[in-house]
This record gives sequence, structure tokens and C-alpha cells, in this order.
Amino acid sequence: MKSPHRFFALLSKLVTYVVLIGFATIMLFPFIFMFSTSFKTQRDTFRYPPRLLPREQLTATVPGYPEPLPLYYVTVEGQLQEYALVESNIRMGVYTDPDHPDVTYTLPLDEIQPTGGVENQRIVLYNNTQELLWDVPVDGHVVPMVLINQTAFGRFADPASPCDSVLQNVRLSEPVEKLTIHPGNYAEVTELQGLDRSLTNTVLVTILVMVGQLATSIVGGYALARLQFPGREQLFIIYLGTIMIPFVVLVTPLYQFMVLIGWVDKLVSLILPWIFTAYGTFLMRQFFITIPKEIEEAALLDGASHLQILTKIFIPASVPALATLATFTFLYAWNSFFWPLVVINTGNRANHVLTLSLSILRGRAADNVNLVMAGAAIAILPPMIVYILAQRFFVESATSSGLKG
Amino acid sequence: MKASIQLEAADRRTVILLRAAVIWHIVLAIAGLAGGLLVWLRAGDMLLWLRLPLGALLVLTAAASSLTALFVQRGRHSGRVLSLAVNYLGFLFCFLGGMHVLGMFTGIDSLASTFGRGIPYLGGVLAGYLISALGDRYENHPERRQMLKRVGKVVMLAFMATFLLAIGTLSGLLAVVRRFTSFLPCLLVGGGLLFGLMIWALWRRDSAVALGASTAHEQMLNGFLFLSPNLLGFLLFFAGPLLLSLYFSFTNYDATTHVSDWVGLQNYARLFNLTIAPLTTPDQPVTEALDMTVYDELMRFNFFERSFILGAQDKLFWIALRNTIVFCLLAVPLSVIPALFLANLLNSKLPGMKFFRAIYFLPSVAAVVGVALIWQWLYNAAVGYINYSITSAVTTINTLFGSAILDPQIRWLSDTRIALLAVVIMSAWQWIGFDTVLFMAGMQAIPRELYEAATVDGAGRWAQFRRITIPLLGPTTFFVVTTAVINALQLFEQVYVLINTEPPGGPANSTLSLVLYLYVRGFQRFQQGYASAVAWVLFIVIFGVTLLQYRRQRSGAYA
Repeated sequence: MKSPHRFFALLSKLVTYVVLIGFATIMLFPFIFMFSTSFKTQRDTFRYPPRLLPREQLTATVPGYPEPLPLYYVTVEGQLQEYALVESNIRMGVYTDPDHPDVTYTLPLDEIQPTGGVENQRIVLYNNTQELLWDVPVDGHVVPMVLINQTAFGRFADPASPCDSVLQNVRLSEPVEKLTIHPGNYAEVTELQGLDRSLTNTVLVTILVMVGQLATSIVGGYALARLQFPGREQLFIIYLGTIMIPFVVLVTPLYQFMVLIGWVDKLVSLILPWIFTAYGTFLMRQFFITIPKEIEEAALLDGASHLQILTKIFIPASVPALATLATFTFLYAWNSFFWPLVVINTGNRANHVLTLSLSILRGRAADNVNLVMAGAAIAILPPMIVYILAQRFFVESATSSGLKG
Repeated sequence: MKASIQLEAADRRTVILLRAAVIWHIVLAIAGLAGGLLVWLRAGDMLLWLRLPLGALLVLTAAASSLTALFVQRGRHSGRVLSLAVNYLGFLFCFLGGMHVLGMFTGIDSLASTFGRGIPYLGGVLAGYLISALGDRYENHPERRQMLKRVGKVVMLAFMATFLLAIGTLSGLLAVVRRFTSFLPCLLVGGGLLFGLMIWALWRRDSAVALGASTAHEQMLNGFLFLSPNLLGFLLFFAGPLLLSLYFSFTNYDATTHVSDWVGLQNYARLFNLTIAPLTTPDQPVTEALDMTVYDELMRFNFFERSFILGAQDKLFWIALRNTIVFCLLAVPLSVIPALFLANLLNSKLPGMKFFRAIYFLPSVAAVVGVALIWQWLYNAAVGYINYSITSAVTTINTLFGSAILDPQIRWLSDTRIALLAVVIMSAWQWIGFDTVLFMAGMQAIPRELYEAATVDGAGRWAQFRRITIPLLGPTTFFVVTTAVINALQLFEQVYVLINTEPPGGPANSTLSLVLYLYVRGFQRFQQGYASAVAWVLFIVIFGVTLLQYRRQRSGAYA
């Protein structure tokens, strides 16, 4: 009786894991794509069908040629060989015998002579049209044939003995490749878009916003949680009510304000307006009211000031809440885009933050996917590392945003 | 007269300081009044929204100062509170104004240019911290612990000093000092010193006693002091702009010409101006049906076998509104429903669930800009992975079943019917993890006994999900949906970066969202009055959604 039940339990577990792994793949794939593409060569990014791992075509130096030449797989006498492409765009003609139209021969155009000489070349009726005849050598004989198509081939030569060469269609030849990574893309995109400066700007802005917001939120939260003053409850309600107000409502006056005090295009405009938030104050207040009053009353009796109580008792006791607020602020400051776009001029590259640089890079390096992905990785990697190290606080900051309503 | 007795009891020094405070406030009141009058009468070319608050502020200072002088003279404690408030604000104004004039805020730019050089030294600071943290491991060796702590401290300080030198703090400070030669910084610093002196004069214990301060008074002052950084910043960067934005929405404010006239509800009227006209034939030219000087064609429709044309004065606004609503209706279910199921799966106590949760949350951490860049290439019509998967799937199905399904070859980002869907899919992908985490938090609050009881009664997992999880998760679901809707209504970055057309919101306005439209109006054409009106329309919609949630909360759905 028990075994079918067990079987279904196992099956349900299996299905659960399959679904979870499937979703995990969907969630991870874009990031995997980003990292792998950021290590590719530009040529490799346009290959179809797309491949995940970065590959690079091997080259070989052939005697008589100054540059290293790309290697391709070539079949010579039934054996697969690695030959170098020494000459491309050799014009080829596709010929067929009018009597056996199912067999075609592909030969270089300039090696074939007209049948009967240039002056009075012979003509044949082929597919109801009059076609010129050409002398095509086949197995030692010369057979008159018609030219039915033209194409271009490449000459492939054995790097060891360049005289052994084969003509073959380049597009259909499989290149000799090996797995490689191109970390140079990161340096190149950094150079191209000045990402080092953008990264510094983002780091600086993020740090200052985090420190500033934590400081104002801690003291504000303490005042709202513990100090009695007229209007406290009303202020708290006002704070609470403004949390849901979208930023876009403020954007025009805030921009005008920045124009007024000359902060447009300055990094400080990305910092100062963001360190006074109702949300942070609210979060700290909610945490501070859970701390028992007895400790602080004892300290007050001992003559401690409120600042001392805050730094000695409240801040050490609320490290998890602080970390949660810090992660929230970190993500917000690091990833913000709309306000930098509005307030920092596109021309002034020195003050661009990463997100802004990336949106410009998108237009500038439209064909260099590898560079764009390297840029994206530079912006995405730091929050990802912080997330992996401090996962708990990220998840907490997500759930604590539940208080936002 | 209790107050005057206390004043007599106070020592000479306190009396002198309080007298000085009274005189200071009288001077301040006169200066404030004069300044207010000057602003009102002389600064006619100043914009109204600037002149009004500035004048009001000065007059308010004057009023508060005269009241302060009166109260302090009478020995009332409220005089002390007012005086401290006025002087504190004055001090802050001088302090921050001084910093501004000395270029310390804008100096962050030059700090950023040198900051990179100092980063390696920050590593040294971290190493010093690690050394001192290592000391805590040797709890049984006090000497070793002491030594490690000391070494760590020295290393930290040394590297900190090198860091500060490397980023050019010294030259920056020198540049600041050099600016002191001009008049304005000196004035502000002098004013700041005076305000600071007055704060000290009234804050000191003797003055407090003389004016009859109690512990409650002290706590009140502390409360205001502690809240003040946040409150003032909040007023300056949030409440002020909020009110200004409302004011702007009633003006024709143009940031290029600096024209700002009150136009009443004209912006809103323009936004919502719609008209319907009957058509003789369904394909009658729009020029015959509508007054083209005012209206643009929005759509045509048939009603009871008659054709009508709908015209709008601001066609783009309606298109943006429609796109935003469509986005909302698609992206919210597409992120919330999978999130609910995933959360339910993750909530089973199988091994490895934390790992999966961590992976699902990953996209929420990444910048939308970066994510959009990635998806832009996944969506690539020729070599993108999405079309490649579709092609592979179609080929596999065709070979397996002998069918002849055509490969759709979707042009994700340039097809007007598809582009918004591309934005929807990407956004949903990014939001799923966040919603999953919220749902999981909600599920963990459901008592486990209910599931145990249900298992005893023979209910399967699906039945448990339907009958227990979904009903008890109601409040969380409602919260998740509202947050998602509010986020979706503010769609901007996704479109701006992923679609990236000029003008934004292409192809053919098929992805134009409300915030994008606001951006185009306000920051590409600089019609900021009109943009503010768009912002307030969006705000009212979002406020409605929030209110709905708030009422649910009130009616006990969150209990």
C-alpha cells in the first residue's frame, strides 16, 4: 500500500525540482549570456547559431606572408587538414556538361578557355537559351561545358608547405577554433566610454548617499521613536503619507532648484537630494520603538545625553535594521538612472555615473556587443557581489519594503 | 512674576547674554522685514515661485524674531525655544551657504577625479581593520590581542592619512581657503559665528534655568534637533518641490525662455481634451471630420453600424496612457502569478530552496539599464537567443510531427505590435524574484498547523494551495499587486534603454509611456509646466491605487 504513495511523493519532488531548475535557468541565462559575450571577440558575437562559450579562430604564419593567416578545416584526399586561408575572392565558375546537367564542376574563371577560341566561340542550346561553350578539363580530358553560375572561393594552403593548396568556399568552410576569453574587452570599453571615471563617480555617490541617509535616518528615527515634542505624531503621519509619492512628480521643480543653485551637471546633485528620505526615517523609527525602554531610562538617570544613548545603545542594537536600510539605499543609489539622466548633461563625460554611461554606450558601440556586455557587467557585478555576501539583508530590505504601503 | 524673579536670581553674565539676545533679535527682525520688503518691491524680474517663498521666509524670520525678543524679555521659555530655532536655522543657512559659496559641494566633482588614485589605500585601511579584528580571536592572550589591535589601528590611520593625501584633500582645502578673500564667504562665516554665539548663549544651562526650562522642554529641543536634518532636507528636497510641482502644473512654465504665467487648468484641459465626430464613411479623411487646428486623430470605431472618429488635442498623452495601462495589465500578472507559484514551491521544506530563492532574486539586484542592454541582444532578430530558441523549437516540432509551422522571425524591438510586449517580458523577468520573496514572507506567516490538519484530512498539495494558501495570503497578494502596479505605472528606464529610439518611445510611439512622455515634454522640449501637469495626472492615478490599498488595510485585510 505504501509504495505508490512514496512513488507520487518522489514524483512531485522531481517535478518541483524540474520547475525550479527551469526557472533558475531563465533567471540566470541573461547574466550568463552577458558574461560569456563580454569575453568574446566581436566576430564571434555575430555568429549564427549563437554559441555561449567564447571562441576564437586560430591563425598560423605561412612562409611568404607577413601576417598570421586564419586556419580552416579542409578535406584533402579524404583527410581533414588545418589549412590557412592565403587568398580570398578567387572568382570561380560553375560549369556543367549540357549532356549531363546533374554534374557540376567548379573551377577558376581565368583558367578556362572558350571552346573554339575567343573569336568564334561555339554555342549550344541549353535550357532553351543559347549558351557559350567553354573547355573544361576533367580527369585529363577537355569537355565543352556551359557556365551556369559564378561564385568566389578562397585558396587554402598547408602552413607547412604553402605549395599544397586547395580552393574552397570560405563561407562554408569551418574555421579552426579554440575556446578563449578576451578580458581585453573590459579595458577597451573602459577606455572607450571612460567607465573608470563613471565607476568612481558611482562608488563615491553611492557611499555618500548611504552614509548621509543612514545618518539622517538614525537621528530622525530616534526623534520620532523616543523624544516627545509637539507635532510628533502629525509629522510621523505626514512622513508615512509621502512614502508612496512617485519621484516623477518632484522631478521638474527639483531640476529647477538645481539650476537655481548651480548644481546642474554636478555630482552633488546626485547626492544631497537623496539623503533625506521619509522611508529611511520610517524604517529606523519602526525598529527603534521595538527596543526596550528600560536600558535607556537607566542611562538617562546616569546623566547620559540623548546623543550618547543613540550611539552607545541604539545603533549597536540595530545593526540588522541599519544593514537592511544600507542595502536598500545602496541598490537605489547604484542603479538610479532617471535623475542622473535629467540632471547630468550628456556632454560632460567626467560626471557620468555608470548607468548613464551605459545608456550612451548603447548607442555608441551598437555593433560591439562584446563591449556593451563588458560595460553592463561592470555595472551589474558590484551589486551582485554585495548581494552574494549579504544576501540576508537584501531579502530583508525587499520584505521591509512591505512596510512602504 | 515668577519669571522675572528667576531673571533676578540669575548671575550677571546670563543677564547680559539674554539682553544681547533680545537686541540681536530686534536687529534680526528689522533686517528680515527690510529684506522681505526689498524682495517684494525690487525683485520684480524674479520668478514668482522664487520671490514668494523667499519673501515669506524673510518676513517669517522677522515675525519670529520680534516674538522671540518679546518672550525673552518677559523671561518666558518659549522665547528660548523660538530663539534657538531662529538662530539654528540662521546658523545652518550661513554654514551651508558658506560651504556652497566656497565650492565645497561642487568640489565633489574634483574629489571624484582624484578619488580613483586613493582606492588602493582604502584597501590598506581595510587590511588594518582586519588586523585589529583578528585581535579579537586571541581572547586568551591579552597581550597579543592588545598588540594586534594597536598595530591594526596604526595601519588604519597611516593608510587613511595616505588616502586623504592621495585624493588631494590638502590642495582642495587650500583652494577653499583662497576663496576667503572675497566678500560673500566672509559675510556668511561672520553671520554663522554670530548665530552660533547666540545658540550658545541660549543653550547654556544658566540661561535655560533663568528662563525656567524643564526636562520636557529639553526633550522637546532635543527632539527638534534630532529630527531637524531630516525634516529640513525633507522640506527642501521633497515637500517644497512637491508643492512647486503642483504650482508649475498650473503655469505655462518654459525652462528655455523662463516664461512662467499662471494659466489655471489649461494644461489639464489640453491633456484631457477629447472629441467624437461622426463619419459618413469609415475611411473618410480626418481633415473633413475634425478641426485639425485643435485635434489629432486618435482612433476610429464603429458603434451601432455608424462610424465615429475620436480626436484628442494631445494625441501622444492618450497613446502614452494607453501604453502604460496595457503594460500594467500585462506585466503585473506576468510577474505576480509565476511568483506566487514559485513561492509556493520554494516554501516546501525541501533542501536547496534557499539557493533557488537567491537565484530568483538576482535580477532585482541588477540595474535596469544593464538588464536592458542584455535583453536588447537576446531580442536581436538575427542572432539573438530568443529568436534562435523559437526557430529551434519550431524546427523540432516540424520534424517530430511533420507539421509546417512557419518560423515567426519576430522583430522584437522594431515591430510596433511587439515592442511593448518585449518590454513587458523583460520587466516581468526582473520583477518575479522580488515578488517571490514577498510572497514567501507572507506564506511563512501562515500557521503550519493548518497544513498539517489539511494533510490529516487527506488534502493534496494543490488543494492546500487553493484552500489555505491563497485565501490566507490575501493581504500579501494585494500588497504585491499594488506595489507592482505602482511600479508598472512609472515605466521609463526599460523603454528608454531597451527600445532607445529618437524620439523615445518608438517604434511609432508604440512604447511611449507616461513618464517617458513627461521626460520628452519636460526635459527635451523643456515645457516644464506641461510636464508637471502630466506628472500630477500620474500621481493622482498612483494615489488612487495607494488609497485603495490603504482602505483595504483599514478594513482589516492586513490584520
